Amino acid sequence: MKYTASRAFVALLFLWTLTGSCFGAVDYDQLFRQSSDLMAQGDLDGALALLKQVPAPAADEEAGAFVSSRMQAGRILASQNETVKAIAVCQEVLKLFPDNSEARNFLAALKDQLKPGWHTVLSDVVRFLPSLARGAVMTLMLVLCTMLVSPLGGLLIALGRISTLRPVSGVCWFIIWFFRGTPLLLQLFFIYYGLPSLGITLSPFTSAVIGLGLNYSAYLGEIIRGAIQSIDHGQMEAAKAIGMSYSQAMRRIIVPQTYKRLMPPVGNEFIALIKDTALVSTIAMVELMRAADQLFNAYFNITALALAAVIYLVLTTIFTFIFEKIEYRAGIYEHR
Amino acid sequence: MNIASHPLLKLENITKRFKSLTAVNGVNLEVSHGEKLVIIGPSGSGKSTLLRSINLLEEIEEGTIHFEGREVGYVMRNAKRHPDRPQAISALRAEIGMVFQHFHLFPHMTVLGNVMEGPLTVLRKSADEARSIATDMLVKVGLSDKRDVFPATLSGGQKQRVAIARALAMRPKLMLFDEPTSALDPELVGEVFDTIHTLADEGMTMIIVTHHMGFARELADRVIFMESGNFLAQGTPEELFSAAQDNDRIRGFLNRLL
Ligand SMILES: Nc1ncnc2c1ncn2[C@@H]1O[C@H](COP(=O)(O)OP(=O)(O)OP(=O)(O)O)[C@@H](O)[C@H]1O
Ligand SMILES: [Mg+2]
Repeated sequence: MKYTASRAFVALLFLWTLTGSCFGAVDYDQLFRQSSDLMAQGDLDGALALLKQVPAPAADEEAGAFVSSRMQAGRILASQNETVKAIAVCQEVLKLFPDNSEARNFLAALKDQLKPGWHTVLSDVVRFLPSLARGAVMTLMLVLCTMLVSPLGGLLIALGRISTLRPVSGVCWFIIWFFRGTPLLLQLFFIYYGLPSLGITLSPFTSAVIGLGLNYSAYLGEIIRGAIQSIDHGQMEAAKAIGMSYSQAMRRIIVPQTYKRLMPPVGNEFIALIKDTALVSTIAMVELMRAADQLFNAYFNITALALAAVIYLVLTTIFTFIFEKIEYRAGIYEHR
Repeated sequence: MNIASHPLLKLENITKRFKSLTAVNGVNLEVSHGEKLVIIGPSGSGKSTLLRSINLLEEIEEGTIHFEGREVGYVMRNAKRHPDRPQAISALRAEIGMVFQHFHLFPHMTVLGNVMEGPLTVLRKSADEARSIATDMLVKVGLSDKRDVFPATLSGGQKQRVAIARALAMRPKLMLFDEPTSALDPELVGEVFDTIHTLADEGMTMIIVTHHMGFARELADRVIFMESGNFLAQGTPEELFSAAQDNDRIRGFLNRLL
């Protein structure tokens, strides 16, 4: 009894596979053709429906038709942005044929698509960050050099401007007039591209520091002059009354009192400076702006620019914070 | 040179003009060692300008200033008067203390720093020396407990006493006070006058511009009534107040004050 049943089952199985394979070998080709035709006509849903008719094969059955039908379906679904369904199709194949490399690759690609946008952005960030960081370091160097040079230059210009010696105040007036009255970009071009024709060739960095330094000295000069002249005249008189010379009074009494008043406008100038260093990218300096521009041109990827913006913001925020701290410290004597 | 043979300060024919306005008009004055001189007079009469001319904060058009017998402040070059070298001017100022109506303390320095500043920067004393001088001066004006605070935390009277200590730290031979109590609340006037009194008792020579007649009467060896750049009357307090009986202008001025 048991014997006959198992025998019948095997016979049935044999028959079924036989008819199945014969039938499939002929009809699946036709089915693929039909579905291709439907796809060509734009009837993707129809094509999908046809492809789904290919049944899952039995264990030892030849799997070609099934796999290609499902992969084709998966591609159609993916093209319709039905990524989740396409993944399901891939997984259907992989359940039976875990080693099918086509399905595996396709699944990986689909899963990549499913990953959120920030993941792509993150990998871009990781890719761009090193060269942007190098650019940012260069920007920072420029900013720090200019921040070192320009307050001194500005103080000299300010003192020169309020000097009673006509030639001195005239020269300082001219410096302010010239550097505030012409574009920084033009000054940079003049120094880097123009001076070589006068026999003075400077490196991009030197040119940049000279250009930015002179420019910001001129601006700070006016700010410092205003701050000095805003100090109560009584302070100078009191200093003179105990026998101080003009320079002693300036150094010990007047200028130190300008620090607190100077911090907000000078902080503003230095924030502007951080951004103005971007102009230096035009004289062959690879700083932050230039680095971002290069990446953008190479990858046509807006993330590079956005990242540069973020770095600029970080720099300006840090400096704003520092200036506020210094302003507070500089004015500590006013707090009761 | 025998100091006693000269007045400490001698002004001859001092004239100071601001454009067409003559603020001080040919004033003559001698101040002897240890003298306490009070100058009174209506607003705009030239009292401040005269004081400022003495320590060369104003450049006078005419006249001469002798300090301890030597002419100071100006030199003749090509028959024209010029201010003396800046060093000479600073040197004179170092010997004359000045106290302003509005104190003009250095706000970015502590009280001690304010008082040390002269000895340190002008007299080039060491920090220790300057600190010990400054500490002594703060004791003298009764503010040694405030040495480490900034001026912004002080009352007006305290500020003015620090300003006095700052001037004294230079060991001046002459002190000029330009309305030292005019910017103070009435209840703070006393402490500043007390400080000036202490100085007077120590024999300091001083010229004080003030509107406080009681104080003038108490302290002054001589009172000068100034108007329109001129000395209208001068004498001991008693002499001036009796002269006021005959002089409408002085009487009017004093009556307004009292
Ligand atoms: N720097 C200046 N420029 C122009 N005019 C001035 C200047 N300083 C003082 N004056 C004028 O000189 C005159 C004398 O001024 P001064 O300050 O010496 O008067 P004062 O007697 O001290 O008056 P007060 O009691 O109000 O202090 C006034 O008319 C004043 O307007
Ligand atoms: Mg006055």
